[in-house]
Amino acid sequence: MGKRNTLVVLSSDDEGERSLSSNHRYSKSKSSSTVPRANPKRSKKARGPGSTSSLSKESCNWDEIRFFCEDLDEGLSGCKLATGSGRSNKKELWVDKYKPRFLDELAVNKKKVEEVKLWFEERLKSSKDKFSSHVLVVTGPAGVGKSATIHVIASRLGATLSEWNTPTPILWQEHLHNSTTGIHYRSKLDEFENFVERVSKYGMIPAFIDKDAKSSMILLIDDLPVTNGRVALGRLKNCLYILVRSTQIPTAILFTNYGEADSADHTNLYLEELQLSLESAGACKNPQVAFNPITHNSIKKILSKICRQEQHNVPAEQIDLIAKSSGGDIRQAITSLQFFCLKPSLMRSLSLSSPFPTLFNGKPDEVNIVDSGISLHFGRDETLSLFHALGKFLHNKREIENTMELDGDEFFVRKELSRLPLKMEAPEKILCQAHGQARPIADFLHENVQDFLSDEAINDAWTVASYLGDADLLLATFRGMLARHNEVENVLQSAAASVAVRGVLFGNFHPLPPRWHAIRRPKLWQIEQSSLSNKKEMVKRRYDLSKGLSSSDATAIAIDYTPLIKWLGFGAAGGRETCEGNGKEEEIIDMMNLDEQESFSDDEIEDW
Amino acid sequence: MLWVDKYRPRTLDQIMVHQDVAQNLKKLVTEQDCPHLLFYGPSGSGKKTLIMAIICQMFGPSAEKVKVENRTWKVEAGSRNIDLELTTLSSTNHVELNPSDAGFQDRYIVQEIIKEMAKNRPIDTKGKKGFKVLVLNEVDKLSREAQHSLRRTMEKYSTYCRLILCCNSSSKVTEAIRSRCLNVRIKAPTEEQIVKVLEFIGKKEGLQIPSGFAARIAEKSNRSLRRAILSFETCRVQQYPFTSNQSIPPMDWEEYISEIASDIMKEQSPKRLYQVRLKLYELLVNCIPPEIILKRLLYELLKKLDIELKHEVCHWAAYYEHRMRLGQKAIFHLEAFVAKFMSIYKAFLIATFG
Repeated sequence: MGKRNTLVVLSSDDEGERSLSSNHRYSKSKSSSTVPRANPKRSKKARGPGSTSSLSKESCNWDEIRFFCEDLDEGLSGCKLATGSGRSNKKELWVDKYKPRFLDELAVNKKKVEEVKLWFEERLKSSKDKFSSHVLVVTGPAGVGKSATIHVIASRLGATLSEWNTPTPILWQEHLHNSTTGIHYRSKLDEFENFVERVSKYGMIPAFIDKDAKSSMILLIDDLPVTNGRVALGRLKNCLYILVRSTQIPTAILFTNYGEADSADHTNLYLEELQLSLESAGACKNPQVAFNPITHNSIKKILSKICRQEQHNVPAEQIDLIAKSSGGDIRQAITSLQFFCLKPSLMRSLSLSSPFPTLFNGKPDEVNIVDSGISLHFGRDETLSLFHALGKFLHNKREIENTMELDGDEFFVRKELSRLPLKMEAPEKILCQAHGQARPIADFLHENVQDFLSDEAINDAWTVASYLGDADLLLATFRGMLARHNEVENVLQSAAASVAVRGVLFGNFHPLPPRWHAIRRPKLWQIEQSSLSNKKEMVKRRYDLSKGLSSSDATAIAIDYTPLIKWLGFGAAGGRETCEGNGKEEEIIDMMNLDEQESFSDDEIEDW
Repeated sequence: MLWVDKYRPRTLDQIMVHQDVAQNLKKLVTEQDCPHLLFYGPSGSGKKTLIMAIICQMFGPSAEKVKVENRTWKVEAGSRNIDLELTTLSSTNHVELNPSDAGFQDRYIVQEIIKEMAKNRPIDTKGKKGFKVLVLNEVDKLSREAQHSLRRTMEKYSTYCRLILCCNSSSKVTEAIRSRCLNVRIKAPTEEQIVKVLEFIGKKEGLQIPSGFAARIAEKSNRSLRRAILSFETCRVQQYPFTSNQSIPPMDWEEYISEIASDIMKEQSPKRLYQVRLKLYELLVNCIPPEIILKRLLYELLKKLDIELKHEVCHWAAYYEHRMRLGQKAIFHLEAFVAKFMSIYKAFLIATFG
């Protein structure tokens, strides 16, 4: 982080600190820790004004609002000298404003927090050599309060927290500018390497920390540099290894693991590998701390607390909705809430800077009006992994008894055709969440569905098979047509996926009791590949045999010639066997890259 | 060299089985301009032999010097570029190819490759035989779109290029194409004809054929001359001198299918269905066309079936054969047929034996 930036923002941040400390009952005795506490904030904030101009080009709505807020904030902090201490608190981003200050403010599970706290306490209090490892690995999805927990614990223990954050990325234009002025580009990895080297050689001696605090210090590595490719990963691994081996300071390394649905992403694989290598370096003997998504209730609690403090009258259902849609991401939830409260009228009055929030409280119905419209605009879409979705379809969980009341007899269904209601969301929605493509879904279902049928139910097997056949027909209808049929194709695709899934759900009338099943990769793909290569092989051999004098189509060769050639032992000894073990197909299978997930277990499905 | 190739008639005059057709074709080719031709008939009836003989008749012995080429074609389709790999067999005057090998991209083969070939008109010194012959195999396996494109290609390039189409069933070729061609039906040779051919080959090879042996081969061959000759040769390798009750080696894939059929009859359950699927995969890997698998499977099942179920089973076989043709992945429909059969048969067993 450049020094210049730090200086620019420093003033405003200190102000924020102070205003907050006046807001909460911030005891003076801990003021020693408030100064370093500003450090991470500073570095985070500095990103905003430093790169506003370039980032806002991305013109993501959300960013605009964010930056608008920040600009507002900036503007206000700029004129705060004039207005004095009477300025209102609500111009800040709520995520920063309501950052937890105390342990009991954390939305994270108490036990987890206690566990982490204990770990740090032990290492800070007792002698250095007692513990073999000084590195704690904290994992968890985004926005569950990993860094917040560390921050709070550090301040609670009165330890200085010094943080490594990956510096702001350099844009191409900047790079061009820099290179003309003679500044060399350094990758983030280089900088991280430097940092680690410094830490391992000299310990942590940041310039701005007074000497007394040195006794208790916590190092937090939040953002590992993004690595691309094996070489960079190797360097990063090496770095971390050195860090783990050499550091004498309690260090927390945070890993953000993204949803399973993004498993195609290579970063995930890299992260796993990094975690493994950390463990092997002796990161911490106790199992690494994994943070779970924050529970629905605690998000709700926090949100309503914020609402109370902000004096916004947000209906309970709305809070419920926000909490639900955030998917356990507290940061997301708070920002959503702020966005929700940021109605146009509110904005206007903000710019007029009339600090009377009671003015809006009188119109709760207005909130309700916006409610319906706005509720769709925030929150993140839940994603499911393909295997999770397949598990849902194949297990076919249903209610024990029909709770749905038949209203009237217009939907009268014959008894053998009626099914109990599904214990899941609409199959189409699940498909959508899993980003399911019709073809692979149908193939996977086809491959696996028979394992889930009860042994007696051959009739069910037929129903399922015929529905899968229907799906196949739908998929084949427009195959190979030109791009102008894209629309049609999309409809067909979704229809086919729906038919396949619903056919499987409907057909499996007597599902087996749930037990462990591995989901297999469709063998069909492999069969198709090898059949194609076999065909080529056969035709070629036939040409060679007949000395190019005549040709035959593959059918004739397969049916008539190959068996004969086998009998005759004509140079092609064991034609079939050799063809099957083709090297080519294995390559292709590797590329499909689905093997690792084959052992997707039932237990995982049950958990959800 | 296999006997099938060795004793294949090279000219229209040498042809033994369809002499009348051959003579008519000879007249057609020598006396006037030849139209597009569509040969159809069961496999092993001699379509290919006739086609090669016609080409020989048209261009003389130079047509026999063919080379096999495995070329990759770059086709522009809309915004994408597609690479298509296709094996062709060509001489200076004719090109033979199998467009359905390209799978669902067969349309591009028809549109682009044939167009390009048709455009390259060979220049003859006399300026007489200024046309090229394109032989397309397995036309009935072409997709509907490809057949439509083929129709247009036929009209557009009919001055430079003659198409000879070859297929098993003309019912799977669109009307539009059929009406633009001279349709030649090649029927399967009768058993007597097959016996005659076998005896001819036996004489040429200097073999003693016991009486009735050739007839047995002919009977087993399902009226396919190719298979008859091939099994004749196999018998020769297995045991010579022949004895009249010598066993004729069966086709391994047919045995495999009859094995599947008895599997199906023994147990009807999803688990068995899965085992059957694996066996079907085995057949598909070896390039046995799914239609033939289905047909043979039905044949084997019918042999073992009670008379009152036969009609229903045939109905479903036809139904799934049709769907297989419309669909993309044959195994889905093959399996659906097996499942349906199991379901019918199980219900029947329960009804009969309680």
